Amino acid sequence: MSKFSQKIGGSKRERSAPGEPMVWFSGMWLAIGILMIVFLLSVIVVNGLGVFWPKAVVQVELTEASEAGWKQSQYFAGELHKTQVRRVGSADGEAIPEIQLFVGNRDVYGFGFKFIDEHDVLQRTFPKGILLVERMEYGDLIAFPVKLQLADGKVIEAGDQGFDEELQRAVQRASDRRHEITHLERGEIGRVNQKMERLKMRLKKTELKGGNVKQVAAETKLEQDELQERYEKMAAEAAGLRARQKEETFHYRLVTGEQGSLELGGVVCFYYPNQLSTWTKLGHFFSSIWGFLSEEPREANTEGGVFPALFGTFVMTLIMCILVVPIGVVAAIYLQEYAKQGLVVRLVRIAVNNLAGVPSIVYGVFGLGFFVYMMGGSIDSLFYPERLPTPTFGTGGLLWASLTMALMTVPVVIVSTEEALASVTRGMREASLAAGASKWQTIQHIVLPGGLPGIITGMILAMARGAGEVAPLMLVGVVKLAPTLPLDTIAPYMHLERKFMHLGFHIYDLGFQSPDSEAAKPMVFATTLLLIALVVVLNAAAIIVREKLRKKYSSGAF
Amino acid sequence: MSEKFDSKKGGEDDPRRFVASRRVLAVDFLMTYFIRLGGAGVIVTVVGIFIFILAQVLPLFQGARVSEVLVEGERQLPEGEYVALATDEWAELPMVVKEDGWVYFIDLKGRRGVVEKAPEWLGEDKVSAIEVDHEAQVISVGTESGQIHLLKYAYEPEFVDEVRTIKESLKQEYHGALEGGAPVRLIALGQSESVRVIATVAGALEKQQLRVQVLKRKRSLMGVGKWNASGSEDLSDKLPGDIRIEKILMSNRGDALVVVAASGRVSYFFRGDEGFELRQQFVPFEDQPQRKIVTTGFLLGDVSLVFVADDGSNRVFSLFRSERDPVRKFYHTKTLASLGAGSDYYARSSRNKAFLLGAGKHASLRFSTSEKVRWSDELPWKVQLGVISGKYDALIFLNEERELHKYQLNDPHPEAGLKAFFGKVWYEGAPEPKYEWQSTGGSDDFEPKFSLVPLIFGSLKGTLYAMLFAVPIALFGALYTSEFLHPKHKVIIKPVMEIMASLPSVVLGFMAALWLAPLIEDRVPSLLLVVTFVPLGAFVIGWFWGSRPMSVRKWIPQGLEFLYFMPVLMGLAWLGWILGPHLEHYCFTVTDPQSGKVVADFSQWWPQVTGTSFQQRNSLVVGFMMGFTVIPIVFTIAEDALSNVPGSLRTGSLAIGASRWQTAWRIVLPTASAGIFSGLMVGLGRAVGETMIVVMATGNTPIMEWNVFSGMRTLSANIAVELPEAPQHSTLYRTLFLGAFVLFLLTFVLNTIAELLRQHLRERYKTV
Repeated sequence: MSKFSQKIGGSKRERSAPGEPMVWFSGMWLAIGILMIVFLLSVIVVNGLGVFWPKAVVQVELTEASEAGWKQSQYFAGELHKTQVRRVGSADGEAIPEIQLFVGNRDVYGFGFKFIDEHDVLQRTFPKGILLVERMEYGDLIAFPVKLQLADGKVIEAGDQGFDEELQRAVQRASDRRHEITHLERGEIGRVNQKMERLKMRLKKTELKGGNVKQVAAETKLEQDELQERYEKMAAEAAGLRARQKEETFHYRLVTGEQGSLELGGVVCFYYPNQLSTWTKLGHFFSSIWGFLSEEPREANTEGGVFPALFGTFVMTLIMCILVVPIGVVAAIYLQEYAKQGLVVRLVRIAVNNLAGVPSIVYGVFGLGFFVYMMGGSIDSLFYPERLPTPTFGTGGLLWASLTMALMTVPVVIVSTEEALASVTRGMREASLAAGASKWQTIQHIVLPGGLPGIITGMILAMARGAGEVAPLMLVGVVKLAPTLPLDTIAPYMHLERKFMHLGFHIYDLGFQSPDSEAAKPMVFATTLLLIALVVVLNAAAIIVREKLRKKYSSGAF
Repeated sequence: MSEKFDSKKGGEDDPRRFVASRRVLAVDFLMTYFIRLGGAGVIVTVVGIFIFILAQVLPLFQGARVSEVLVEGERQLPEGEYVALATDEWAELPMVVKEDGWVYFIDLKGRRGVVEKAPEWLGEDKVSAIEVDHEAQVISVGTESGQIHLLKYAYEPEFVDEVRTIKESLKQEYHGALEGGAPVRLIALGQSESVRVIATVAGALEKQQLRVQVLKRKRSLMGVGKWNASGSEDLSDKLPGDIRIEKILMSNRGDALVVVAASGRVSYFFRGDEGFELRQQFVPFEDQPQRKIVTTGFLLGDVSLVFVADDGSNRVFSLFRSERDPVRKFYHTKTLASLGAGSDYYARSSRNKAFLLGAGKHASLRFSTSEKVRWSDELPWKVQLGVISGKYDALIFLNEERELHKYQLNDPHPEAGLKAFFGKVWYEGAPEPKYEWQSTGGSDDFEPKFSLVPLIFGSLKGTLYAMLFAVPIALFGALYTSEFLHPKHKVIIKPVMEIMASLPSVVLGFMAALWLAPLIEDRVPSLLLVVTFVPLGAFVIGWFWGSRPMSVRKWIPQGLEFLYFMPVLMGLAWLGWILGPHLEHYCFTVTDPQSGKVVADFSQWWPQVTGTSFQQRNSLVVGFMMGFTVIPIVFTIAEDALSNVPGSLRTGSLAIGASRWQTAWRIVLPTASAGIFSGLMVGLGRAVGETMIVVMATGNTPIMEWNVFSGMRTLSANIAVELPEAPQHSTLYRTLFLGAFVLFLLTFVLNTIAELLRQHLRERYKTV
């Protein structure tokens, strides 16, 4: 390069500056970095949102020579999933174009996706009358409607006037009943079970303490009988509702020729994919998103919604926040305002900074060893001896997960708060002290309000980190499917010992542990999008708050 | 603070207006201590994490602790020569066998004293050889008249009022005559579910017979039947005639017979389909003046033999297939510390690869895998026999006064040790010492392999590829952002990079494994083209544009080059992607071994040319995705360091005529080098500890090769995969904690270096 610069002089100076290609070269790296992130995010957004957008159902007629058909049929119908080129199985390494259809009807075919070679396809049509039904079990049904059998014995043929409306009403009825059943079984019966369990535990506790078992048994007998009676009554009611779910049936015909019927109790919703206008598609799009956010998962998490995971993430992050913010702020105030600035504080600051860089899995290991096994084990043997050997707190749970995450995010809060406190100018502090305020009053009224945006930034960053981190949670309490939410209407409302679901772990589990990863993929993309949206929104909020702070104290020590 | 001013009494003259109210003082006092306490608490926690993890790890490096347990009641045996000592699982009711066939059970709980069993099954005969098989729980006896007796002993726990009593039983299972009827001198037994093989040495020295007898029993619906002799084989001819057989050993499965001669020569017979064949003869202590072998025994699993020479030298030989020889043979694998004198007894653990030796008063508990003496001590008396309990929690000795002594053994982690974790270990069955991680195995006699080296290697490999990819993007990006980019755009670029940092690693892992890996699996040539085209394009455009006259150059404002380059970049990338298959067609063709046709396929070409594997989830994918976590960190820190370089340096450089690139490269970059280095350290720390991406996007196989197209297993992924299944306080559990500790230390060191560099940089800026 030195040769380069010597050559340049005088008149040539105007034409070119040395190192200009290098500027472009470094610009390229920045462009790559930015494109990477934009590209990745758009892949996630497109794939994630695409899950909810209703696709047209194509009916494929196969050629006579094709062997791809189902039994004797020459037809397949399904959503076009992707078009690709395969080389496996071709005679001479030739590339063969093929399409992948989501054909649904897993109960009949035994598969959900079907690959068909492009040259096997005779023609493609988009039948208007084809119906897509989301079911509670076996995924989607893609078929032509035949008739509707109602509870009062009335039969409505598919071509008849008002068929769709009647079907819609029947599905709505079934759906209402389903909610009722859930309410009964989860809420009412759950409460009764809980009470009975508590009675049993009381008995066992008395036994452990060497108390009068017979007396306690006699005392609880009456209550137990009453509970048993209530339980049986409600169980009967639920069973009655369940039976009614089976009364009305929907009959259909697949494109491959099979006829079948479906109890309406098992229908989530239905629509004619080839009759949708853009507006109805949009409506369907938003209602699917709502369903995804508010429903519980079905079919080993591959269908339905992610509500428990979303809720678990939320509750865990909230508890973590409650734990981490006071601790972090107190530590930061100590370091910044109270501790003598010397070698020790400098070392401590390095240590805290370092903790932010310690891998999250190490916190998970610590959480498992210290919180779960040591503290949890001690709590169990002290307070819940009657339940042993089944652990109560001696296994992963919400409390331990939140504590572990709090520990992990404490450095983030400390660093951020300290920065904010440092940005409050010396003048303000001195003015306050000069006006006669005590040290704590200065902190309370001058320093803390001034540093508030920084504290909030730290909190939001901690939340974002906590919501997105999975590795430590895998060790301290996250499960793929939790039967109950950690927060419910049964006392003590907040169940800190329960295991919970988490969006991040949901992604991991669906993508890697599920038996049919192809079928789970849409769900994973949707969950990924949700998690990213959550984390990115949190981070963007933190960045905005920080920018504001920076402007406000631009004269300060930033 | 307003109280004192609002106070009605307090006028200008009131002296109390300078006195703070008691409440204010109290709150101040309280808060001071509260915050000091809180602050100190956080600091204690930081240290506490470190100490806790260390405390979990330390027991791994402790030796065995052995202490005598007081035995109640009678434990004195009658006069005589005792040949074997065995024990039950709980070490409560050891069994001692006397030379003449008497068997004694001694209740160490003192409730039943010594229970003796006379050899009624013997009749008029006299015992001439007796051995105990601990695994099969069979006493095999050979007599002077050439008879063979097999006695089954068993232990059954009985619970009365939750108090455990062990009940013994002893019954004859087989009785048969040896061909020839010569007195049996040595006997050994191997047994599997349906076959028992009894090896005997009979007759006088000059015409000794080495014979194997096979017993079989039928399984039927009625249960197992009786043992019946089903043929025997005379192996005397296969041995040199002049050797004096001192000891014979049969492996548990009955497929190996080891014959030890007085000369120190060992012969190994293998039972194949056509009976026994002499497979190998070797002298374990060939290089020593004292070759005589006093003790020989199989280790658990029957693939390793322990030998002790007359002078106390202790060696282990293991069966494996060497490179030269396709047949499994015994080779010298381990040398343990000398015992000082020939061992009087040998006992092995039925839990792990530990064994017990002793000479005189000296007793020594050793572990084969780690070649370590776990415990050794001078006992108060000479020992005749010793045994390790089934749970590896007790040792029982019979001393020269014929008294039984029980020792409690506390050695939860015999397989651990610095050598096991960080050194090459010669595992059983392996042809050479190596680093290996394999924590669980299918069978009971599995030898756990706890080398952390492949895991550390995996972590470093992942880090290396991530850094290779991330560093140029982060550093050049930071340089461009701080030096050339218009400040207006900087406000957008920096948050975009920070958003990148916030992407959860589970998302990146999922994208790596299920989206990126299948996408680039068969498009490697395309990738090659893309990585050539893009930088080349940047240079060509930069050179071309830089040599245009100023009037043309101002069309693209300075500091926006990257934006204008983006479409070009995308075009080039697309071009490379499209042309990839053509490149593959011309350069990466292989002949398909099955059809003989020439196929263009990189995934087949790579293994054929380099001899290494090609996997879908490989380091390339991991490196790329880890880039997402590393880039923003390095970028942010480096950009901060560059931006903070005092402007006077920059303007000075520009003023004397340096171009903007020269200023950036020669003035700004060197000044900020400490900060950039610090960014690299932090990025390194982040990559080393990354978990989810690696768990999801590699095959998690602990291999040690630098191949880009194969996976790895990192320390962090290993913890995530194995810790949920590891029982609390097991060796695996603690080893995983050790892995976490190593990670902790590694990142702590990296981050401390980074922090010190940053502080150094701050000092430097002050002086500039």
